Amino acid sequence: MSGTPRRVVVTGLGAVSSLGIGAHTFAAGIREGRSGVSQIRAFDATGFPHTVAGEVHQFVPEEVVRRLRVGDWGRTALFAASAARLAADDSGLDAGVLAAARTGSVVGTTSGESAVIEALTGQWVRDGFKRLDPALIRQVPANQIATAVNSELGLRGEAQTIATACSASNYALGYAYDMVRTGEADFMISGGADSINRWAHAGFYRLGALAESVCRPFDRNRSGILTAEGGVALLLEPLEHAVNRGARIYAEVLGYGVNCDASHPVSPDPTSIAACIRAAHRNAGVSPADIDYICAHGTGTPTNDATEVKAVREVFGDRLPPISSIKSMIGHTMGAASGFGALICCLALHEGFLPPTANITEVDPALGPDLDPVPGRSRPASPRVVQNHGFAFGGNNAITILGRVA
Amino acid sequence: MTEIEALAVTGAGVVSPAGFGLAALRGWDGAAQPALSGPRRDEDYPPIPLVGIEGIDPEQYLGRKGVRHLDWTTKIALVACNRALAELDPPLAPDAGTRTGVVIGTSTGSIRSSSEFSRETLVQEKPYLVRANLFPNTVMNCCAGQVAIFNGLRGVNATIAGGQLSSLSAIRYARNAIVGGHIDGALVGGVEELCPQSAWGWHLSGRLTGDTAVGEGCAVFLVESLASAAAAGRTPLAELLACEVVSAGSDDRPVTSHRVTAAVRRALERSGVAPADVSTVSWGCTGHVGLERAELRGVRAALGGRVPAGSVRVTEVAGESFSASGALQLAALLAHWAPDGSAGEGSGEIGLVTSIGQDGMVGALVVRRR
Repeated sequence: MSGTPRRVVVTGLGAVSSLGIGAHTFAAGIREGRSGVSQIRAFDATGFPHTVAGEVHQFVPEEVVRRLRVGDWGRTALFAASAARLAADDSGLDAGVLAAARTGSVVGTTSGESAVIEALTGQWVRDGFKRLDPALIRQVPANQIATAVNSELGLRGEAQTIATACSASNYALGYAYDMVRTGEADFMISGGADSINRWAHAGFYRLGALAESVCRPFDRNRSGILTAEGGVALLLEPLEHAVNRGARIYAEVLGYGVNCDASHPVSPDPTSIAACIRAAHRNAGVSPADIDYICAHGTGTPTNDATEVKAVREVFGDRLPPISSIKSMIGHTMGAASGFGALICCLALHEGFLPPTANITEVDPALGPDLDPVPGRSRPASPRVVQNHGFAFGGNNAITILGRVA
Repeated sequence: MTEIEALAVTGAGVVSPAGFGLAALRGWDGAAQPALSGPRRDEDYPPIPLVGIEGIDPEQYLGRKGVRHLDWTTKIALVACNRALAELDPPLAPDAGTRTGVVIGTSTGSIRSSSEFSRETLVQEKPYLVRANLFPNTVMNCCAGQVAIFNGLRGVNATIAGGQLSSLSAIRYARNAIVGGHIDGALVGGVEELCPQSAWGWHLSGRLTGDTAVGEGCAVFLVESLASAAAAGRTPLAELLACEVVSAGSDDRPVTSHRVTAAVRRALERSGVAPADVSTVSWGCTGHVGLERAELRGVRAALGGRVPAGSVRVTEVAGESFSASGALQLAALLAHWAPDGSAGEGSGEIGLVTSIGQDGMVGALVVRRR
C-alpha cells in the first residue's frame, strides 16, 4: 500500500461510561473496582425479572459535543461522537490540524441505533407504519454512528461503522491501526458505541445469559452478563508525529488478529480463539512470554469463562498472565466493550497498574490452577505488552495487542 | 498518495429481482419490473413501486439444516455466496477456509428481524417473552456469521454498516485485510432485504423520485490477491483498483458534486488510470432526489467534461437496494461487460462505480475488465 510502515500510537482517549464521562474518570472508577450498574431508566423495565444494567445516566450530549445538533442524532451516534470529541481534546491536537489532515473514523457497534429502532417500533405498534417519524427514520442506519464522529470533528476521511457485534471495537482498532500504519490516513479515531435496549435485554434473558444484579466473571457463583451501554474513542497517530509535537503517548498499537469460529452463532470455540490469539501475536511480532496482562472478554457467563480460559491456556501453557474483566464493573457494553478494554489497557500501560475484576468471592476452581483475575481493586504493576480480547455472536473474534512505547 | 495494489474478482454470486446471476442483470430488457407476489404481497406496504426477489427457494441451495429460523437477509446472502462459490473455477481448496474471510455490507442487518423482535417485547404479556432462537437474527453480524458457518470460512468475518456506501466500504475493509496479510481472499458484497419497514422508511423519507422502486438483493464476489488467484489457477473476471470514500467534513452547505469529483479523481489517480480511459460508469444515485444530478455533474467534471458512452443503472433492474447497491452496481458492470462472466473483447476497459450517501459520504471504485 505504501513504503515503510509507520509505528502507531494512541495519544487521545475518550469515554462516555456508566462510571462517568471522560477517560480518566472512567479509569478512576475501574481502578477502585466501583460498579456502574443501576436500575434501568432508559426503557420501561416493568415486567422484566431483572431490572439493572450498566446505563449511562449522567450523559448530557450538549455538554460534550460542539458541532452536532443533538436532536438530529440517535443515542449511539451521540455516544460515539462525544467520546471522539473527548479523545480529540485529550490528545492536545489542534482541531484544525485534525480536520485538515486525512483523518477518518471507524466505530464498532452491535445493535447500532437500537434505541431509535425501538422508538419507531413503538410508533408502529401504536399507530401503524404510516405514522413513523421521518426524523427518526433518518437516524436508523448504523453508518450514522461513524458519520456523527466525522461531523462532530469535521473529518473528511472515511467514516466506517463496523457491526461485528461484541468484538466490533477491536475490529475498529485494527482497521484504524492499519490505516495510520500504511499511510492511508494521517490520524484515525477508533471507537465503539451501543445503547441499552429492551430487545437485547429480553434476548439475553431468554438465552439464560443475564445475571440478576451482579456480574462476577471467573467467580464460582457467576450467573451471566449485565447489559450495558456507552461510547469510547481512541485517537491514533504516527509515533513520529506524536514525538515531534511532544504529545503524551499512552500506548503503541502493536498489532491485531481477527478470525471466525465458523461453527456456531452464539457458542464460542476455544480452539478458534486460541488461533486468534496466535494470529494477533504473529501480527504484533510478540510471543506469549511477552504478554504481561490480558483484558478478558470476560462476559460473566459460565460458557465464556470456560472457553476463554481454555483458549488462553492453550496458548500460554502454565504461565498464565493476569487476566481480568472490566465487565464486572460496567457490564457488557456490547460493541463498545473491547474499546473500553483497549482504553483501560492504554492507561494500564501508561500509568502502571492492572485493572481488576470486581465482585469475586471465590475464583472458580473449575477454571484450573494459577488463574489471577486481579480480584477487587487494581494492582500497581508495570505491564509492557498487553492483550485485549473481544469475542462475539457469529464467532467474530478480534484481539488487539498494545505496548508501552520503548 | 500511493498507488494501490489491484485485487482480483474471481467469482460472483447475485440474487436480485431480475433473477439469478450476472446474466439476469444483463438480460433484463427494460420491460415492466416484476411486481411483488407471494406472501409478501399481502403485507402492509406503502403505495409505491416495489420489486422483490421472487421464485427462489433458499433450501434448494442450502439444504434444510439450520435454515428455517434465519431471516430473509441472511437467506438471500447465503444463496448468493453459495452461487459465488459453486461457480468458482477451480473451487476453493479444502484448506482455503482458514485464509478466506467474509465481508458483508449491511446498514441495519435485517431491520425486519430487529423491529419484529423488538415488537414482541411490547405486545407480549411479559416483555421477555421473545423467542430466543430469533435473537441472533437481530444482531447485525448474523448474516456474515452464517455465511462463515455454512461455508467453513474462518478468516476475518466483518460486517460493515455504511448506509448507501456499505458495499464500497466493505470492499475497502476487505482490501485492507487482504493486503495486510490477514487473509488471502474473502467473499465481499452487500445485502438488502425488502420489507415493510424499509419500504415505509424510503416512502416517508421523500428521498426517492415517485417512479423509483424500492428493491432488494445481494451480490457477493470472491475477491483475492492477484497472487492468490494465480496460485489457485482462477482467471479474474475483473480487477478492483482504488476504492475511495470521503465524507462531508465541516462543510455546512453540501457541495456534493465537488466531493464526487474529488473522490473520483483521487480513485483514478491511485489506480494509475487517466480520466479519458473510463469507458463505463455504473451509477449509484438513480432515482435519488437531488443526488442523481450531483452524481452526474461530479463524475462529468472528474472525467474532463464528458460522460462515457457506457452507462449502467442497476436500480432500474433491482430497485433501490441501499446497502446492496454498490455490490449490485459492480455486478451490473461485470454483466454489462460480459454477461456470461467470461473475459473477452475489450479487456483492459475501465469502469467506474460511484455512490453518494444522504449523509454526505461519497465513494468511487475503479474496476478494470479482464
